[in-house]
Amino acid sequence: MNNYFVKRFLYLIPTLIGASILIFFLYSLIPGNFIDTDPNLTAERKAELYALYGFDQPTIIRYFIWMGNLFQGDLGYSLQFQRPVTEVLNNYIWSSFIVAFASLFLTWGIAMVIGVISATKQYSFFDSFITILVFGAMAIPSFFLGLIAIKFFAVDLGWFPAGGMTTSGADYTGWAYVKDIAEHMVLPVIVLTMLGIGGLTRYFRTNMLEVVKQDFVRTARAKGLKEKVVIYKHALRNALLPAITLFAFELPALFSGAIITEQIFNWPGIGAIYMQAFSVRDYPLLMGFTMFIAVLTVISNLIADILYGVADPRVRVK
Amino acid sequence: MSYSNNEVIQTDHITKTVQRSSLWKEVMKRFFKRKMAIAGLIILLLVFLFSFIGPFFSPYMTAGTNPQEIHQAPSLSHWLGTDHLGRDVLTRLMLAGRISLTVGIGAMLLAVTIGGILGILAGYYGGLIDQIVMRIADILMTLPGLPLLFIMAAIMSEWQVPAEQRLYIVMIMLSLVNWPSLARLIRSQVLSLREREFMVATEVLGLRDKRKVLNHLLPNVVPLLIVTATLSVGGAILSESVLSFFGLGVVPPTASWGNMINTANTLIDFTNRPWLWIPPGVAIFVTVIAVNLLGDGLRDSIDPNMKGR
Amino acid sequence: MKARKYYFILFTALILFLTACNTEMGGGEESAAAGSDGEDTQSVDVVEDTKIEASDPASSPELALNRGNTVVVGLQEPGGVFTPHFNTSGYDGNVQSVMFPPLVDIDESGEPYPRLAESWEISDDGLTYTYHLRENLKFDDGSDLTAHDVAFTITLLHDPSYPGSTDITEANVVGGLDYKEGDAEEIDGITVIDDQTIEIQVEEPNARSLTMLGGEVLSESYYGADYSKGNLDYINDLHLKPLGAGPFKFEAYNPGEEIRFISNEFYYNGEPEVDTFIYRTSEGDSQQFFQTGELDYSAFPADQDNFELLQSLGYANIDLYTSSNYSYVAFNHESEIFQDPNVRIAFNLGLDRQAYIDARFQGFAELANVPVAPVSWAYTDEIEPFPYDPEEAKRLLEEAGWKEGSDGIREKDGEKLRVYFFTTDGSGGNDIFVTLAQENYREIGIDLQIEQMDFNALLSRVDNGDHDLVSFSTTMQPDPHIGVEAFHSKHTSNTFRGYENPEVDELIDAAVAVSDINERAEAYHELYAKLQEDPPMILLNYNKVLAGTNARVEGFEPNGIRGISPSLENLRIVE
Repeated sequence: MNNYFVKRFLYLIPTLIGASILIFFLYSLIPGNFIDTDPNLTAERKAELYALYGFDQPTIIRYFIWMGNLFQGDLGYSLQFQRPVTEVLNNYIWSSFIVAFASLFLTWGIAMVIGVISATKQYSFFDSFITILVFGAMAIPSFFLGLIAIKFFAVDLGWFPAGGMTTSGADYTGWAYVKDIAEHMVLPVIVLTMLGIGGLTRYFRTNMLEVVKQDFVRTARAKGLKEKVVIYKHALRNALLPAITLFAFELPALFSGAIITEQIFNWPGIGAIYMQAFSVRDYPLLMGFTMFIAVLTVISNLIADILYGVADPRVRVK
Repeated sequence: MSYSNNEVIQTDHITKTVQRSSLWKEVMKRFFKRKMAIAGLIILLLVFLFSFIGPFFSPYMTAGTNPQEIHQAPSLSHWLGTDHLGRDVLTRLMLAGRISLTVGIGAMLLAVTIGGILGILAGYYGGLIDQIVMRIADILMTLPGLPLLFIMAAIMSEWQVPAEQRLYIVMIMLSLVNWPSLARLIRSQVLSLREREFMVATEVLGLRDKRKVLNHLLPNVVPLLIVTATLSVGGAILSESVLSFFGLGVVPPTASWGNMINTANTLIDFTNRPWLWIPPGVAIFVTVIAVNLLGDGLRDSIDPNMKGR
Repeated sequence: MKARKYYFILFTALILFLTACNTEMGGGEESAAAGSDGEDTQSVDVVEDTKIEASDPASSPELALNRGNTVVVGLQEPGGVFTPHFNTSGYDGNVQSVMFPPLVDIDESGEPYPRLAESWEISDDGLTYTYHLRENLKFDDGSDLTAHDVAFTITLLHDPSYPGSTDITEANVVGGLDYKEGDAEEIDGITVIDDQTIEIQVEEPNARSLTMLGGEVLSESYYGADYSKGNLDYINDLHLKPLGAGPFKFEAYNPGEEIRFISNEFYYNGEPEVDTFIYRTSEGDSQQFFQTGELDYSAFPADQDNFELLQSLGYANIDLYTSSNYSYVAFNHESEIFQDPNVRIAFNLGLDRQAYIDARFQGFAELANVPVAPVSWAYTDEIEPFPYDPEEAKRLLEEAGWKEGSDGIREKDGEKLRVYFFTTDGSGGNDIFVTLAQENYREIGIDLQIEQMDFNALLSRVDNGDHDLVSFSTTMQPDPHIGVEAFHSKHTSNTFRGYENPEVDELIDAAVAVSDINERAEAYHELYAKLQEDPPMILLNYNKVLAGTNARVEGFEPNGIRGISPSLENLRIVE
């Protein structure tokens, strides 16, 4: 059985090498580069800068230089920020993380509760109502949802800030500072939660329906246990098990930044920075970030597999 | 997304041909019992009629811009008002529906074709083919979706595509992003089918690969394909609107629901001219809900044991 | 990237519009056109530049009223390179201009006025520049600012490893190239006479040398402590710790949130009354932040909607002014189609620009007639803009050999008259232009194909010459030369590559060779008249900016050339 994990682990290497090749060459196919951002440069100055930044080397050589640095943990130097890529990532990733974490927490909590209730009352009014609501949330384009939220909750009603992470010039410290950030988080977190909740609710509902039909649940009922105990103690626990693997798949999303939501709410996260870097073709930052996410994805897939193996020993044999 | 580990469709197959027709009859019967799925189907048909037939009843089909009638509120002559160039919003909404529906369905067809073929090949032949296809899918799936779309849009901007054919570019982009997860899903379905008695029987009978795949394997994968395909149409329509938001979707003057919302998304238009953004917003909303209800209903009826995701 | 999507221009050397409106990515501010049949469109009057006092200052959101002696202004996210001359993002330039006044600045009509330099002299032959610094100038850490720092800064810009985009060689300092390309240890043409006086020799007269040489000053003891010729890497570590001499000094930069400055007690013109000045950074639209009171000042794209919105906010002082930038559509001069000047004239005549401007800006922009904005001393209204005259356009195309084909599109030697128009993504009225231009051109038998892409891809493809037409908006133009230098056949920037007209070359050279403003203005008028016969572009419009200030703050005097930066030192909170 250890063989399985070893084999699984060895798969990581070709996948990551493949990803690095794909990332590098895809980005190098994009028209434009950092120096083109300034249309006023003369051809001579441009050539000077090309040489200075090493853009005049052939793509393949630049790939190996990049990979070589990557192995030493060096993601390169952001052209736009003139700082190391790792430092730039570190500056922005944590603000993305707190929003993603809060919304992940909410999404799972709400989806679990609704999914279970919906499943225990299949085809009831509640079930249909929730189904419609959930499908509704899944049917709104994310940017549109964000704009509507800003319009009504921030500008018209004034309940929450329209964007950003802190109130400029307020100089809060301590708890007031935490509260300030929390207030700024409300709208983006709600939007992200609404976007994510649909699929997950459906997943819990189906899973629960499946478990409820299984023998051990029937046995539990037959033993005369209360319905509540049956559902929440026996059935739910079993329905949750496969969800743990799913949870592992969500890990990269914690760090990858929600590009659209951050953009709309002006949240200083990595997603917004990615867009900005894209518009000026800050390739070291773009590639560094994409590679970072690729590594996270591969690792979390591995974790998911291992968890799944733990939960369901039959898989290991294969 | 990836929570579909064993979506085996639980139907018994003993003698295939006879079985198949009665299987579909069963499915239809179950499907027609689901009110919400029926509602989805009807709404979807109406949206199609609205988009493809509707414009023929509009007096503004051939009218261009009209500077005299900019930003008019809904009235008897313009039921949904006019936009910032004096064009009739209702007519544009219908024409945009053609584009958005075409993109949604086109992207789905492309993704299902690529994902389906590769998934079946990988699952059926296994070995090297499986390794190659699945490694490529794995690698593609390590890249975050939206950045991948930006990259492709930038690369494809070099292919001088006339504006009215831009929607094909959008389809290609969306299907390239979506095929890997589809291929993975189909592959696991094929893998589990391969172990089933009827497939083992074809082995024993010594049937040719082509026949085995086309006559026996494919029909059993089709239900899953239909369900996934239906659900992915909604996703593609939403993705197009998001691409429009970033200026990477269908470009004006060609209208899509996405870029219609997009040209009206200043706070001022939001407040003062709801007729510019409510209609395309509602159109997307209703269409995607209808598609999802339909897909959900199809899944439940094809797979009564609710084994699917 | 809307939320609006679009990013502003990221050009370097010039200071941009402050703050963000909904603009688009990069510099391609686009536009759109209007009315299909221009004849019967009622014309919209151009709205005059104006200032309107807030009607009800007390109605300001609490958030702003409670802010105390701090002023917050919106800015697009900068790149975090706060050393002048080293930034690549124009927004970094906005940050720098708070801390780094130049020796010689430019006023609202483009004329030079003294900042750190009290006065200057230019020799009669235009080859010697002498700057006299003010007495007791200090950097914001209290150290002295002297002529040695000025000499150091100019030397640094000549360093072979200098990575920024300020091209100092244009000033032709004597010995400059020997330093940059040779092994000279110093630049011969720079002479420090005493702590307050510096003299610089140049090889050729150039009207722009005064401000180019008299730019922002870097402290030699701070930025030059580790300097050795050919190695400027150490400066990267100082980009986030700027040391300037402006009204405010740098305090902190929280990426994605704000840049915070505090008043500088050593400022030559006296410490500002406002204690703290903050640039709050954002991507795109800042309108909602002005409405919620998070910003004290915000610039909006000028149109009827925004004007009415600001008027409805009782606490907003409104300042509508004309910017020094303008929008245009450039021809690809390497394309066969545009070799004939008459074809280019036909493209000008066949586009109803006024209808477009009316539809998009409702009077909040003006039709452009020359490549310099009305705010500049070089502007003239004596040159008539091309009228909308489709008949004449058709005649010119016919004459040039483009005959109408069966489908209404003109042909020549079997080739259809199909032109590709490049534009950056998205809304902001872009669709108005493309829709109207397509209609207008179809009418005279031109098939206009629209290609939309992001700004960087656009620049790179224009560089490859893939386009026929491309839409741009300039940055703010402190000197009229910036608007025309690219028409010179020796100039190698990509947009007007292939445009060659010896008479135009001569006129451009003549206009920078003299220093007297009146003489220069004459020279430009002659040049503009010549350009009308051989148009390198389709001029669209001069832009206006609609600035809103929360009435609790006074002192913002934005102008079309330098934005708000020169007025920051006068900010005051109204009690």
